[in-house]
Amino acid sequence: MTRAFLQLAAMIAVFFGLWFGLSQIDWVGILRIESGKEATEEKLGDLLWDTFKQQDEELRSSEVTSRLDSLIQFVCKENNIDAKEIKLHVLQNDDVNAVTLPDHHLVVYSGLIKASDSEAELVGVICHEIAHMQKNHVMKKLVKEIGLSALIGMTSGGNTGRIIKLISSSAYDRELETEADLTAADYMLKADLDPEALANFLYKLSSDDVPSQVYWVSTHPESKERAKAIIEYIEGKDITKNQILSADSWKSLKAAASEN
Amino acid sequence: MSTPFPNEPGEHEAERASNSYLMSLVAHIVGLPLPIVNLVATLIFFLGNRNGTYFTRWHCTQALLSQASLLFVNSYGFWWTIGIIFRDNTVTNEYIAYMITVFLINVAEVIATMYAAIVTRKGKHVELWFYGDITNAICKP
Repeated sequence: MTRAFLQLAAMIAVFFGLWFGLSQIDWVGILRIESGKEATEEKLGDLLWDTFKQQDEELRSSEVTSRLDSLIQFVCKENNIDAKEIKLHVLQNDDVNAVTLPDHHLVVYSGLIKASDSEAELVGVICHEIAHMQKNHVMKKLVKEIGLSALIGMTSGGNTGRIIKLISSSAYDRELETEADLTAADYMLKADLDPEALANFLYKLSSDDVPSQVYWVSTHPESKERAKAIIEYIEGKDITKNQILSADSWKSLKAAASEN
Repeated sequence: MSTPFPNEPGEHEAERASNSYLMSLVAHIVGLPLPIVNLVATLIFFLGNRNGTYFTRWHCTQALLSQASLLFVNSYGFWWTIGIIFRDNTVTNEYIAYMITVFLINVAEVIATMYAAIVTRKGKHVELWFYGDITNAICKP
């Protein structure tokens, strides 16, 4: 039996030795797994943005875009996120909505800016979307629902309707939503902003007297519970309620979004 | 390696012993996508032959043992792959290295099983490295 134990030990050693040895090779790089995924994500992002762009007019007013950009830059800087990666688009649409598309496309609807009663509320929603980006929720969900091979097929001119439905309606699982909410709260805390505003926004828009155009909430289920989870998460933490934009600048942003 | 056996097996014994490896080989190939299949198939064959002659029992046991060890490595690879397809796991260098290692082990197992099937069919006794010693310890005349 001693011989059998030695042989077993030798087999285990060969197995783990082979595994460890082969692990030292950069298979992911050699097989171009990451670059293939990135190329797919980039094509999908562009394809979906084109579809969104066809449905609504893009708002290019610097009054809006430069101010939104300042908000994004600030949050990203405070959280060591590369803001250059984020491709911000503003759509002229009264829906209270913001959508994250593959390849860091962030689509903000003018209706969201109008519906935000404070800068922190708007930043809260933006932080939530940035959290989806940083956690790669969009691609994870699409790969899970559609499969990577089908997605690659769609990049060469497929039907994007299903993808749009997936990323803009009943969007993410509860687990991913909660993760994005709490990550957004962390981003805001790090940037000395008030994460309670995100909870307030969720709570406010989940009430019955809000019109049906409130897609950001209606597509994100259980808003009241989510608001409660954020409040519980930030309880006892030091909260600084700083502003990024000046009061005048915030008013101008709201006015510019409402004008169009 | 081919070694002497206490008694000379008859034609029927050699056939059944060889079949245990063939069964194991077929089950191995069929069961690759879901590793438990090959173990269950070999186990059923083993139970069917537990009242057979010593030669037949010995080789069924060796076939079963060699399958059992594969169950663990293949199952781990199977569930890892499921995690990548349906959950958040990503393809890493460790995963690819593991799958190559598992592939090589499976190839070695297939070759060893085919060799054992051919040799036992000729009525010769063959003890596989490690599994032979374990079989000797648990399978008595």
